[in-house]
Amino acid sequence: MNGSKDIFSTIFSAGTFQMMLRSATPVALAAIGGSMTEHAGIMNIGMEGMILMGAFFGVLGSFLAQSAFAGLALALLVGILAGLFFALLVVRYKSDEFIIGCALNTFAIGLTTYLARNYFPGDASGNPNLPELNLAFLDRIPGLRVINHQSVLVYLTWIIVILAWLFVYKTPYGFWLRASGEKPDTLRTAGISPKKMKWIASVLCGILCALAGAHLSLGQLQGTFTDNMSNSRGFIAFACVIFAAAHPGKAYLAALMFGFFEAIGLRLQGFVSSDLTGMIPYLITIVMMVYVVVRKQRRKMKNE
Amino acid sequence: MKQNEAVVRFEHISMQFPGVLANDDICLEIRKGEVFALIGENGAGKSTLMNILYGLQKPSAGALWIKGKRVEEFDPRIVIDQGVGMVHQHFMLVPSFTVAQNIVLSREPRKHKIFFDNAAAEEAVRKLERDYGLTVPESTPVEEISVGLQQRVEILKALCKGAEILILDEPTAVLTPQETEELFTVIRGIVREKDMTVIIITHKLDEVMAISDRVGVMRKGRLVGVHETRDVDTRMLASLMVGRPVLFEELERSGTPGAPALRVEKLCVSDQRGLPAVRGLSLELRAGEILGIAAIEGNGQSELIEAITGLIPIRSGRVEVLGKDVTGREPGEIREAGLAHVPEDRLATGLSGAATVAENLLVGKQREPRFNRFRIHQDRRAVRSYAEEVYERYDIRGAGVDALAGEMSGGNMQKVVIAREFSFDTPVLIISQPTRGVDVGAIEFIHSRVMEKRNQGAAILLSSADLDEVFRLSDRIITLFEGEITGSFRAGEIGKEELGLYMTGSRRQGGTAE
Amino acid sequence: MIRNKINTKYLISLGVSVLLAFLVGALILLCTGRNPLRAYGAMLSGAFSNRRHIGDVLEYAMVLAVCGLACDLGSRVGIFNVGGEGQLLLGAIAAAQVGAALDGVTAWAVIPLAALAAILTGALYALIPGVLKVKLKVNEVITTIMLNTVAAYLCQFLAKGPWRSSDPRMVAATEELSPRYWFGGLMGASNLSTAIFAAAIIAFLVWYVMQKTTPGFEMKLTGQNPRFARFSGLRIDRKIILCMAISGAMCGLVGMFRVFGAEHQYKSSISSDYYFEGLMVAMIARYQPLTTILLALFFAVLKVGAEGLQQVGVPNQIYLIIQTVIIFFMAAQSGFLEAAAANPRLRRLLSGRKKPPAGADPHTGAEPDEKGGAAQ
Repeated sequence: MNGSKDIFSTIFSAGTFQMMLRSATPVALAAIGGSMTEHAGIMNIGMEGMILMGAFFGVLGSFLAQSAFAGLALALLVGILAGLFFALLVVRYKSDEFIIGCALNTFAIGLTTYLARNYFPGDASGNPNLPELNLAFLDRIPGLRVINHQSVLVYLTWIIVILAWLFVYKTPYGFWLRASGEKPDTLRTAGISPKKMKWIASVLCGILCALAGAHLSLGQLQGTFTDNMSNSRGFIAFACVIFAAAHPGKAYLAALMFGFFEAIGLRLQGFVSSDLTGMIPYLITIVMMVYVVVRKQRRKMKNE
Repeated sequence: MKQNEAVVRFEHISMQFPGVLANDDICLEIRKGEVFALIGENGAGKSTLMNILYGLQKPSAGALWIKGKRVEEFDPRIVIDQGVGMVHQHFMLVPSFTVAQNIVLSREPRKHKIFFDNAAAEEAVRKLERDYGLTVPESTPVEEISVGLQQRVEILKALCKGAEILILDEPTAVLTPQETEELFTVIRGIVREKDMTVIIITHKLDEVMAISDRVGVMRKGRLVGVHETRDVDTRMLASLMVGRPVLFEELERSGTPGAPALRVEKLCVSDQRGLPAVRGLSLELRAGEILGIAAIEGNGQSELIEAITGLIPIRSGRVEVLGKDVTGREPGEIREAGLAHVPEDRLATGLSGAATVAENLLVGKQREPRFNRFRIHQDRRAVRSYAEEVYERYDIRGAGVDALAGEMSGGNMQKVVIAREFSFDTPVLIISQPTRGVDVGAIEFIHSRVMEKRNQGAAILLSSADLDEVFRLSDRIITLFEGEITGSFRAGEIGKEELGLYMTGSRRQGGTAE
Repeated sequence: MIRNKINTKYLISLGVSVLLAFLVGALILLCTGRNPLRAYGAMLSGAFSNRRHIGDVLEYAMVLAVCGLACDLGSRVGIFNVGGEGQLLLGAIAAAQVGAALDGVTAWAVIPLAALAAILTGALYALIPGVLKVKLKVNEVITTIMLNTVAAYLCQFLAKGPWRSSDPRMVAATEELSPRYWFGGLMGASNLSTAIFAAAIIAFLVWYVMQKTTPGFEMKLTGQNPRFARFSGLRIDRKIILCMAISGAMCGLVGMFRVFGAEHQYKSSISSDYYFEGLMVAMIARYQPLTTILLALFFAVLKVGAEGLQQVGVPNQIYLIIQTVIIFFMAAQSGFLEAAAANPRLRRLLSGRKKPPAGADPHTGAEPDEKGGAAQ
């Protein structure tokens, strides 16, 4: 009985929530980016590679210019290029988005590891990292302590969630974006090019994935790059997109859930294997996908 | 109201597609403030003509005038600005958007320059509703409203863009009778009160009588007549639509019908959307006879055939092939019971375009011992010689048996399908649209093959959009309307015009609909 | 979109893509201050310099080929098995555990049982996405990717927990197999073992069934046009599920080969996305079995040769870059040529190519029979 009480208090400690927030952020950023391409009707599984490139070029920029913000800028530049490249192949040349996404992921592993060996023959750590927010007054309010001392990108993500939500659901451009994925012909007959919207979505996704990567290397790991450090976060983000039906707010919540499981996995290493808790989000994703399909079928049956 | 002012003028419009003259020298004036009905069979060229008017296609010859101005550039955007609106047969709506959001798409009202102003959009839609007396639920997602309402949204969308000339492409094809009645009320309203011009494409003759002021009849790319609706009746329209029969030599018939080979009892089938398509239909087909189904596209004939052959599920009822119950079985099991099937859509269902002609001819026989060594090793040489023999016998013309089936002409593709299905020598044959898109020479060949099968004692169920074909081949004819049999006739017992009345649902055996 | 035809055009585009990819690789090498010629030279000699390297090339070619063929098998019936990595890992750990648990029993029993365990785990694990796809039309790409991660976690859990090695130095590994179960090594210290003969038999069988037999013909029909295949009487559901299961079984078996041939226990070096590399080989080979096998050999040379690069101080990941750039070029080329053909200025450059017929817009609302009937 004592043990279970320990588990409980460990799970719901402030530390867990702090950790949750930190590890949810990169997934959330990528998931918001993935929501853009998802709305535009592109199945983007290349996010994994985009994150990895963002992580590496963030550290590289930070190292070369000795400034974390220069690193952030380089990461964003690479993110834009990755988005443009993806759109060029998928939208312009109509290549199979799955093949391109798959290849992009592996390409990113090859490129970043190769360049890391080149620029950081020892290890790629200790580069200038992004600052943390430190507002003394937050520490004095008991409930709000957990949201202090986080990397700036954690807070930026909150703003991005709101902006993305406003963009997708509250501006005409968001309507065109969604129409370009749902019924491109309708948009075309209305005089707006669905391809243009797909290009825009792709670039936005590249930018957000690069931010996610930069947070990972420059924020979470304080200026460190390790091989393949995105570690399936792109796929988790993809799961969040599906889970949230590409709604940026819900995608953030889904990312928080993944962050929560990651955090308790780490916190519970003494009690339950983190490998078992780590599986849960992926299993839930499969269950959700089946549920979405079954619900659709049931709706059709009702027609009969 | 200036009744005789022409808002649209087609001047010697022709449209040549590869191999088909879809529009042949069409001269037509549409007057301001009228409801003009354009009728014709499938493939008569109605849609092509309207696509030209909507700027989707550029005619190969002739000129088009809208409101006294010659159209130079065929682009929907320009034509829309001149006041032409079109409601497509397949709606152009975004399902997850609300009604108002769909109506204002691409011309959204904005707040602070960048935000979508939903309240203003709904207000604009409400204003449209008041102006035209059409009500729609502005804030409901389109996917949650009925097809009838969706169509109303499409009409409002066109009106919102300032349409004065509205083209409705088969607007009632997907509507219930009640919804059709409501649509007609709307059309009458906008024409009378807003001085709009409406062009309606249809092949339901009673609807023509109910709604139009004038009617134009198209047949095989030509405009064969334009009449004041009050001067004609459905019988006359039907005969205009169908035309005189094409002269083919009489086919030789022999033998008498034998035992029942296919029996369908109280069959109910749903279409893709889950709506009833075949409603309690029963029929019996005997050996050595051809039963022709005459029906206008979308009246359940496709679903009937796909249900019999096992391609789509059956909701209720029973299908028997040679006395064996095959209800709800897989296509393979039904074939084994003694049935072969020439499907209506050869490219999607009838063959594999990425496989060679030889492979397509083999399918279904690939397990036969003569094509296998050691049970599973495919004997390519045997396949090839078999394919070449069939290729020869069915007079298929192309680049040989090793060419890809998808790269053949339509007529030869169809011959490949027919050759394969006929080669099974099954007692029951289901044939759907055997000569759709096939040139005249091949039609003659296919017809004689079908008749040969009949004379050899096969029971044949034939469905065709080409009435001449149905008349030429069938021993008996049934008419289908909205998934029910409206009439059953012996060959020679009924003329085409009269049959048209049964096909359009204006008359039924055992009590007329009128 | 990659089309399924191997012909001169394919060979030319493959050749051009490989060439361009090496150029891109050279560019990256130059940008990072390396001599590309020296690097590529080192790559070549790295792959063939000694017996050990040649053995490793063959071992890796075996892994790539069987994984690639597993992917070919699925795509032949129209299902994309992206979950091979998970099936491989589970097969490996199941085989490793069977070997460890039955320690002492004769190898004649242990090896078949371990193979059976690998086959069954791989197949069953592949059945989950297969059945979901066929019965509920759940996208198999996403489910297989998710299941890959689940399998990786599960294996890690087992290797760290219940099935953990008694060797305290190993954090996440199963018990090492007793040497009498090991597949015999063939090339000195390399990873090559007698498993390659089993793999060769499997590869031959897959090639034979897919290309030469009636069931292979039926599989092809199913993948090309499932509607037509069903129409003509084939039970396509069963075919897809069966192919998925076999594909999973093959991946599981690769895992067993890695355990019994090279690593002799389950640990993380069993596979690092080897299935994905095999899948990319299959993509480049357009899912044609013989081409897959040949390209597997080619990429194994690159991969092992890239190890040789380390000796001249060039990171070996240049291999991954070259491999993926080949895919980019191959995937983009048909779209690129189409776009070039539509562009009047480029068309003049590529003279001889005709403009594609101006197809009717998808939204023209033309009557179905004018377009040859509406597809369902």
